[in-house]
Amino acid sequence: MGGRGGGGGGRKARNFATFRLFPRAGAADPNDRVFVRVDNNDYTVPGFADEDSFDPSLSDPSAGDGNFHSASGPLPEHVRREILELGLPDDGYNYLSHLRELRPAAASSFVPSSTARPEPLPLDVKAYDASRVRVGPSDGELDEGKTMCKVAAKTAPVRRIEKAVDPDVVRLLDESDVSHVGSEDEGLEEDFVIIANRAEGEELEEEDIEEWNGVLSDVEEEFDFEEDEPKPRVRRLLDEQFDLLALEEYGDSDDDDRVVKDGEYELPSEAIDELKLFQSQNVCVDEEYRTPADFVRQKVDSSTTDEVDESAHVIKKCAEYAERYLNETAEEEVVVLVSESSDESEVWDCETIVSTFSNLDNHPGKIETPGIPRKRLPRVFPGETTTTNDIIKLHGKEKLPVEYLPQRRRNGEKEKKVKPVEASVTDKFKKGAEKETKEEKKARKAAVKEEKKEARKAKKELKGLYKSETQKAQKVAAVTGPSSIRLIYCGKHFGLFEIMT
Amino acid sequence: MAAADLAYAPPMKSGKAGFEAGLMDPQHRIRITLSSRSVKNLEKVCGDLVKGAKGKDLKIKGPVRMPTKVLHITTRKSPCGEGTNTWDRFEMRIHKRVIDLISTPDVVKQITSITIEPGVEVEVTISDA
Repeated sequence: MGGRGGGGGGRKARNFATFRLFPRAGAADPNDRVFVRVDNNDYTVPGFADEDSFDPSLSDPSAGDGNFHSASGPLPEHVRREILELGLPDDGYNYLSHLRELRPAAASSFVPSSTARPEPLPLDVKAYDASRVRVGPSDGELDEGKTMCKVAAKTAPVRRIEKAVDPDVVRLLDESDVSHVGSEDEGLEEDFVIIANRAEGEELEEEDIEEWNGVLSDVEEEFDFEEDEPKPRVRRLLDEQFDLLALEEYGDSDDDDRVVKDGEYELPSEAIDELKLFQSQNVCVDEEYRTPADFVRQKVDSSTTDEVDESAHVIKKCAEYAERYLNETAEEEVVVLVSESSDESEVWDCETIVSTFSNLDNHPGKIETPGIPRKRLPRVFPGETTTTNDIIKLHGKEKLPVEYLPQRRRNGEKEKKVKPVEASVTDKFKKGAEKETKEEKKARKAAVKEEKKEARKAKKELKGLYKSETQKAQKVAAVTGPSSIRLIYCGKHFGLFEIMT
Repeated sequence: MAAADLAYAPPMKSGKAGFEAGLMDPQHRIRITLSSRSVKNLEKVCGDLVKGAKGKDLKIKGPVRMPTKVLHITTRKSPCGEGTNTWDRFEMRIHKRVIDLISTPDVVKQITSITIEPGVEVEVTISDA
């Protein structure tokens, strides 16, 4: 084109600058482009592509003249200041090149982070933001309907509430675990109910104690309680009786049974009833010892009719028991032995039978599904029965040893045998003995037909089997060899041949 | 190659350049090369540039249509080796237009900033007038 005056020696004076339009780095809009220098000449164009914040070394690696060659020495002051302002470390790397400008036209908008999510409301709670509701005697109306409307108008449903974390509340929450273990001075006592009830009448306390003992869960409290309780009060007869009863019932296992299960430490209700009854009887024990007989014989002055009746009843009962006891000792010598083998067990059932067998002499096996009998070679060669020679006959087009083939062939044989037999039978009825040659011919032909049919079936099967092989070989040939190789399947020879073109 | 072309300076131009009290002092020779895969966009951008330059009464030579480069890729259609050996012929056409101007760089910047079409690559070479 233009005249090349310089000749072949040095390079032509390259006093030009080439700029290319590139999309601005970090910009969302691809149409937002700037001119970037793409050559390395010394020629400077002052008015073109003079942009401070744009670092072309990112977008175009071929551009040598970037804004600031960031690897050369420390960064300029204003750059460093800006980096520090952003909170990035001042280590000589120009992090500003990685900044992305947010442009109003760009689609990106500030999205609050979804990771720091306050707990959503449970499903049965609905929250409303009532910050706009004005409360106060503004209008002086106390009309419920109107105020409700006003409130409803100003409130907005809120899906998430942020729990206000009060420092005091937090502190208390943290401390709650610690405070459980230690001090018993603070808060309620475990047995505060009993202490409270202590003020009420003394008589009721015994029963209360018995009943509340089941309620108390704190072992130590209970123990202390039992020791302390009798001391402040004067020990009465009933206390001693109770203690005796307790000992009777629970014996020496007191220490173990301190661990309370709810019903256990309580006296059974019958005992309590008895005690109550006893109490109601207003027993006053005097110095003298009295027997029921005394009551009956009315030797005691202050005896009620109830007492008399009871005493009489008691005496009667005692007599009965004594008699029974005497009688029992006599009868006990006769021990009746009932033998196991009664009439009922004569009838045997599966379980009994099975249970009477032992694995020592009985080896049961697992019941399995009967397998398919696979016989590769028939055990009794039909050929052996027919021909005593060592000749193996080949029949049919395929020239197969018919008699030695597996089951299928045998069936074919059977069919063949059946058919001619049938044919001959029917024919006999028609024509009689003279036409046997015709029948024989027919039979022979039929046999041959059958053989051909079987052969065809076998061939088809094999062809199907080997078809995949053809495809595989074609593939291999396509990849490796020239595409002119054609592969065909030759059924007769059960193999693959290549036809070279 | 750009330098070789711009080294040829017609006498009229140098006369104009010598006239110091011109519009803006440094008149440069500016070559704008536009290349794209789609002709429609390219022609549109070309037209806009030319119109813009003519509106500012700049000396413009354009748009020179370079011959289209056709890049071919021919591959087998089949992912495996099986089947008839059919081939795909893919091509990519790149069109190139060149516009020469004589003006100051900032005017050119103005012009090129207005017409922005996606898919069109713009390259500007500035040299001395």
